[in-house]
Amino acid sequence: MSLAMFGLKKSPWVYHVNVGACNNCDIEVLELLTPRYDVERLGMVLVGTPRHADALLVTGMCSRQAEPRLREIYRQTPKPCVVFCIGSCACTGGIFRHGYHFSQPVDQVIRDEDPDAVIAYVPGCPPKPEAMIAGAATALAAL
Amino acid sequence: MSELESVTGAEVESPVLARVLTALGGLVLEVEEQTPQRGWVRVDPARVREAARIMYEDLQARLATVTGIDVRDGIDILYHWCFDGDAYVVTLKGLAEAPAMAIDSVGQDLPAADWIEREMHDLLGAEFRGHPDMRRLILADDWPEGAYPLRRDFKVPKVDATGKRETDQWAGAADPAKTPKPSASQPKRPKPGQTLINVGPFHPLQEEAEFFQLYCEGETVVDMDMRTSYNHRGIEELSSRLTWDQVPFLVERVCGICSASHPWAYIRAVETLCGVQAPPRAEYLRTIVAELERLHSHMLWIGLAGHFLGYNTVWMWGWKYREPVMDILELVTGSRIHYANNRIGGVRRDVSPDLYPEIRKAVDSLKAPLELITKAVLDDPVLHARLKNVGVLSEEEARRWAVTGPTARGSNVPIDVRRDEPHGAYDEVEWDVITRPEGDVFAKAVVRCLECFESIKIIEQCLDQIPDGPIAAEVDHVPRGESCGHYEAPRGETFHYIRSDGGPGPVRHKIRAPSYVNIPSFRASCIGQQVADVTIILASVDPCYSCTERMARLVDADTGKPMGTFQDMVRASRQRTRRLRGQV
Repeated sequence: MSLAMFGLKKSPWVYHVNVGACNNCDIEVLELLTPRYDVERLGMVLVGTPRHADALLVTGMCSRQAEPRLREIYRQTPKPCVVFCIGSCACTGGIFRHGYHFSQPVDQVIRDEDPDAVIAYVPGCPPKPEAMIAGAATALAAL
Repeated sequence: MSELESVTGAEVESPVLARVLTALGGLVLEVEEQTPQRGWVRVDPARVREAARIMYEDLQARLATVTGIDVRDGIDILYHWCFDGDAYVVTLKGLAEAPAMAIDSVGQDLPAADWIEREMHDLLGAEFRGHPDMRRLILADDWPEGAYPLRRDFKVPKVDATGKRETDQWAGAADPAKTPKPSASQPKRPKPGQTLINVGPFHPLQEEAEFFQLYCEGETVVDMDMRTSYNHRGIEELSSRLTWDQVPFLVERVCGICSASHPWAYIRAVETLCGVQAPPRAEYLRTIVAELERLHSHMLWIGLAGHFLGYNTVWMWGWKYREPVMDILELVTGSRIHYANNRIGGVRRDVSPDLYPEIRKAVDSLKAPLELITKAVLDDPVLHARLKNVGVLSEEEARRWAVTGPTARGSNVPIDVRRDEPHGAYDEVEWDVITRPEGDVFAKAVVRCLECFESIKIIEQCLDQIPDGPIAAEVDHVPRGESCGHYEAPRGETFHYIRSDGGPGPVRHKIRAPSYVNIPSFRASCIGQQVADVTIILASVDPCYSCTERMARLVDADTGKPMGTFQDMVRASRQRTRRLRGQV
């Protein structure tokens, strides 16, 4: 295993991206950092720029306005990286999928940028913080 | 014949409506008195500016929002005016006739109508004569010109199971190849001597993408601009395709922290139209869940406000102590957030009396931490230095921008839908509306801290007094008509308007969240402030995105070279705190 991959699995630094969500998933993501769930004990830290990130936590249904920006953020994230689609909206478009401002599901946007992208899905509306931790742990173990 | 009858040919029962009709005089074309709290007045569309001036200046009403509806003859523009002290909502209607679909802009006189007119232009194609700034607000930069999503003939291509649209053609679009309109995504060049600080659209701790542009001279913000749309999900259009019972699940997801508020406002509108009253037990259960939401929402804000100022301990403790509230909500409704407890006619699930002691224990456990945090805010001299006289929104500006919630109550505007238009159990329990006169960030922080205690009081009294009985009234048909309902979400008044043609769902559903009126007031409260204070001012209205930190670039206006990052701004904010701590 490369050193980069070892570092990623041991302590994934995450960057949170909201591309059109109701904020529930986002709040639950922030709650991961707070004392009850405390993902910092698993090495997860929220970073200030995608350039420092090992993982992107993407929430939201990907609106037309946000889609080009999501592509840009993915390009800026150094590889290897894992893209987590957090919540039903990021996985499939959720309850907003038939709306006029829905662009494409997040995984299609990412795969369009990079066919070899590593994408993990954490469904739920919102997924409970425990589900997010479980999703992260499962994905990292599978790498 | 009374003077009123001679003017309108109508005899109305409500003194508020009578006052409105007398003041509007010859502008009135039609009147409908729906309930003792709702009136609908059609006015001469050529004179809507005058009507708005009369309502705002002479009658001191508050513009809640404006709804545009595509009707056969054009676009009907509905101005919803609230008389908070009288629990009355008057809607003035002016028809922007086809084919021009044009009407005078009220936003050129009253900032409260500024954004909504831009939105109606984007979504319906209505023209507002005289509006100073018709750049794109709510639709994406690449949205084709001439495609108006809320028009009746606009058809959204279906999305298949993999998320692909059947076709990229938007029916109802005039010409997809037309050049997209300008938007604030390309900010105006700053004037000489000014620096443009782009704040957004993405940032690590920001919950939503929003894009602010701050124009600064030295350290002082002299102007600001904003671009929304990143989060636009087209909920109003989606709502028109659902049934009445499905809509609460959709509007719950307008915002994560107003999950109880949006459905309740919508349901109030529908219940008014149906003439249905939810049973008393349901009203108590609704109130308990809604106040629990207010508690966790305010504590969330307190934590984030602490974080911006460099008090990360406040963040961690605030959010740690809010977890019991989330647990109780999960116990009572089945979910930490997105409770789905409210339905037309009542509530979906009952709460067994076995759970009352758990609820009491949870809210009781909040009292000590809340007191700790409140005392810290009220007594800490560094917080005084950071928050007092910062981001002041004067009472006059608060009224001009028609802000609501703690943003208004912190600026001496004592409005609160729970007290002004009693519903739920709010008029059966003792509680106070917290108001502060100063209008600065400190005032808003105090209002939120003290409101937490009021919420606890309300919950405890509700548990003491909750009656037995059915939890829902049956409603089998929603008749033709229109209606509006509002509710005091944690951030302020959320306003919903619905129109029914007797069918299975709403033909038009207008949603105005509180942040929609609170966020634009930044233009009034940020101007003249220091850059280091901007983060806390932006956060002080508790926007519906939990956090307002963004990725920012400092750009030298002359050379265009980047000078720093947003981290520098946050650092500046925290350094200021440290400096003040040393002085105090």
